[in-house]
Amino acid sequence: MLIFLLSTCNRDEVDNQRPEIDMSWDGAFPKNCDTLYIGETFNFGAVFTDNTALGSYSIDIHHNFDHHSHSTDVEDCRLLPVKEAVNPFLFIREYEIPVGIKVYRADVEIFIPEGVDEGDYHLFISLTDREGWRAEKGVSVKILHRKSS
Amino acid sequence: MKGLQWLFVLAFCLPHQSFSQHIYYSVRGQVTHEGQTPLTGANVILNSGEKTTITDKDGKFVLAEMVAGKYILEVSYLGYEKYTGTLNIVSDTSVVIMLKPQFQTLEEVAVVGEYSGMLKREDPTSIESVNKQYIKNYLSGNLMKTLDRLPGVSAIEIGSGQSKPLIRGLGFNRVVVVENGIKHEGQQWGEEHGLEIDQYAIDRIEIIKSPASLMYGSDAIGGVINLKQIEIPAENTFGGMLDMTGKSNNNLLGISFNAYARKNRAFVSGRYTMIDYADYHIPAGSVDIYSYSIPLFRNRLRNTAGNEQYLHFSIGSIGKHFFNRLFISNMKNKVGFFANAHGLEPRNVDMSLHDKSARDIHYPFQEVNHFKISAKSTINHGINQIEAIFGYQNNFRQEWSQYVAHGYMPAVFPDSLSFPDVLELQFDKDVYSGALKNTISFSDKFSLTTGFNSELQKNCIDGRGFIIPGFRQFTMGVYMYDKFSLSEKIILHAGLRYDFGNIEIKEYYDWFKSPVINDHGDTTHYDYLQRTAGLNRRFTNICWSVGINYNGSVFSLKANIGKSFRMPIAKELAANGVNYHHFSYEVGNPKLSSEVSYQFDLGLEWKLSRIVLGLSPFLGYFPNYIYLNPSYRHDYLYGAGHQIFYYTQSEVLRAGGEIHLHYNVLKQVKAGVVGEYVYSEQLSGEKKGFTLPFSPPANVLLNLNYSPGIGKMFNETYISVDYKLVAAQNKIVPPERKTKGSQIVNISVGSKFEWKEQFVSVNFQVQNLFNSKYFNHTSYYRIINVPEAGRNFIINLSIPFEHQTGKNRK
Repeated sequence: MLIFLLSTCNRDEVDNQRPEIDMSWDGAFPKNCDTLYIGETFNFGAVFTDNTALGSYSIDIHHNFDHHSHSTDVEDCRLLPVKEAVNPFLFIREYEIPVGIKVYRADVEIFIPEGVDEGDYHLFISLTDREGWRAEKGVSVKILHRKSS
Repeated sequence: MKGLQWLFVLAFCLPHQSFSQHIYYSVRGQVTHEGQTPLTGANVILNSGEKTTITDKDGKFVLAEMVAGKYILEVSYLGYEKYTGTLNIVSDTSVVIMLKPQFQTLEEVAVVGEYSGMLKREDPTSIESVNKQYIKNYLSGNLMKTLDRLPGVSAIEIGSGQSKPLIRGLGFNRVVVVENGIKHEGQQWGEEHGLEIDQYAIDRIEIIKSPASLMYGSDAIGGVINLKQIEIPAENTFGGMLDMTGKSNNNLLGISFNAYARKNRAFVSGRYTMIDYADYHIPAGSVDIYSYSIPLFRNRLRNTAGNEQYLHFSIGSIGKHFFNRLFISNMKNKVGFFANAHGLEPRNVDMSLHDKSARDIHYPFQEVNHFKISAKSTINHGINQIEAIFGYQNNFRQEWSQYVAHGYMPAVFPDSLSFPDVLELQFDKDVYSGALKNTISFSDKFSLTTGFNSELQKNCIDGRGFIIPGFRQFTMGVYMYDKFSLSEKIILHAGLRYDFGNIEIKEYYDWFKSPVINDHGDTTHYDYLQRTAGLNRRFTNICWSVGINYNGSVFSLKANIGKSFRMPIAKELAANGVNYHHFSYEVGNPKLSSEVSYQFDLGLEWKLSRIVLGLSPFLGYFPNYIYLNPSYRHDYLYGAGHQIFYYTQSEVLRAGGEIHLHYNVLKQVKAGVVGEYVYSEQLSGEKKGFTLPFSPPANVLLNLNYSPGIGKMFNETYISVDYKLVAAQNKIVPPERKTKGSQIVNISVGSKFEWKEQFVSVNFQVQNLFNSKYFNHTSYYRIINVPEAGRNFIINLSIPFEHQTGKNRK
């Protein structure tokens, strides 16, 4: 039985590596503490990598008026005072990455409609590879009206 | 169905024996062990089961209405050599029987008292047994942590002092927990749900480490944890015990008071247990969830305080041919969850509120109430021993947390709903169970057991979250098991079982509207989404088991092969929601089939004069293991962009085993080694080549025990040192992390001393002596990098009292 055991153990190693989310490069957006503007479109930009094959990613933007969320970055942003939500902006989308890709640059246009509440928001990114390994990143952002200069 | 009918006929056509007029005598006896100490709960058997009884608190028994003649008297007790003798009755007789302890294989390493008992010798499966004293000596935060020391048994920690059993790498609803003959229904369906068992109220625990569907039905595919309250007060006495426990790590205070009384044949007992604890300490100043570092105040894991209350009541009567007992208990607890890690992502919390006191419990927390009533009757009728058990239990559990809108829940909680905004989940489950069993001992060589058990469950849900639907589940099974002694040394076993199960799942709609998205990705309208469609499934299963025991003077062997099964649970069939404890979104699969397992178990043991070596390897195969597969997909509705885990089925191969080695260095010094190893591999499906979740890493426990024996003042004094070495676990499956190896030292010291004619016992432990920072691979908090508890001093004091009431009948 032991011999049988040993023979089954020596299989090729499975993929144990998590994918990675890189938002440290210049074109990555939004970064922690960035501001997004109501009535405008912004381009979400990130680079995803994996050792074998990427799976999908999701973007979730929800309000943080009660300060419940925090970014996964070490740096904390200065938050506005706690307030009640009336009509907060909400965005949840999943994007599949084509099969067999190891490096992928995400570029998504996201429009923030008029009428949503200004304030602190949280942008949460989840990335998977085809094996089901996952990486997460949370970014604190502000959604405000652009002040006419 | 023909076969089924026959099974019933077999079970309830009881062979009768006629009784005629005779002069009756009675046999009074006492069973003792070393030092004339009475042995409670020993089995006394006359003529292979013609009459049976159990010894009382003073080790005494009475066999009444006996006609003159020659009888064979057998007395057995776990961990002691069986006594067999002839009894020639010509008048009222009294006997004193002293049982000799069996060579204790691993007494000090694994179990105190009754490790290698009759159970081990006569059961072909892999089995462990511990008693009350073991629980006191190694008492941990919860029952499973206490049992974690045993080879092949681990605990899946779910934080806040809660944990679930894991036997040879199989856990959750793959392990059945039985309390006083009734399946304990509570902990299986919620992940962060502990066992909810009062550690003070258990007299004996038996753990079956291999599939045991044959006797226990569905869910026993990974093993059984059988908790027993067996102590019976001595005739015409009243008394009780006060237990007090203190722990330094979480400032725990536990008090358990029990009282009992017995008049002639009737007895009553009661117990109240209260446990209160503060947030526990870890040897770290902060915890990294994802890449965010959460600072901890004074190394305490924020909001893990809790309190538990247990009430037990029992009445019973012992007759010549019967034994009846009624158990009523209620458990209530309130336990906080680590506040920074509940929900969908690391959370900001009001630290000034949480850190003001380590004892208070804020959101998020859970409250559980578990009520249980069961009645058990044993009747001895000729060569039949009939056992009937009926039970009802209600498990009511609520999870409370601050309202945070997930997915498309409204930003402001509407006040038009039937539940409050802070009620995250609520489960209300009623379970009715019944079991009937008859053992016919045709001779001392051959016995046949036939049985029937059935259960009805009804679960209702409430709250703003959704993961498990409401359901109604009915199961029943019939079985037959025979035991045949081929010779003095060889016992053969065989069993067959048939099961039927039906589960009806209620449909569920969200209480809030979410966007309905068409094939082009555009939102057409908003609607209340259906999470779970109504479902009605039926399952039938046949399982079997064949085994052999060989008990030689030096070498003993046991082997067993069997098929077990498990019916899919409601969560696996119809979950569709967020698991707030795992940052995941779980989706059930209504097409799942019953999980089946084939397992071969072997037990080998060599006993020499001062050394004992045992090996218990196993090999198992699941053609369709139900596996929660982390996919690459994300849920964009209620899951708020979180990864989706789908219930799937895959082929799984498992192998491993335990080793135990015991060496008597000196008369008073014993050394021992116990080790365990489990290997699992998925042979098919999306995770082909991967292991199973929560695979326990290989580990070895080295133990040194010094027991100076009986002194003038102190008795049963012992000092025990455990050195536990855990290997790294590099075989992982998403979303787990590789876990480094660890080394932990635990010390346990205890003694008994006489005070007012009673023996007061004191136990003292230091767990994690060196305050090492290490991770437990089988902990839920592992994935969020929460290390295990730091150094913990535990003290336990037990003060008994007992009085004689009236005269004992002579």
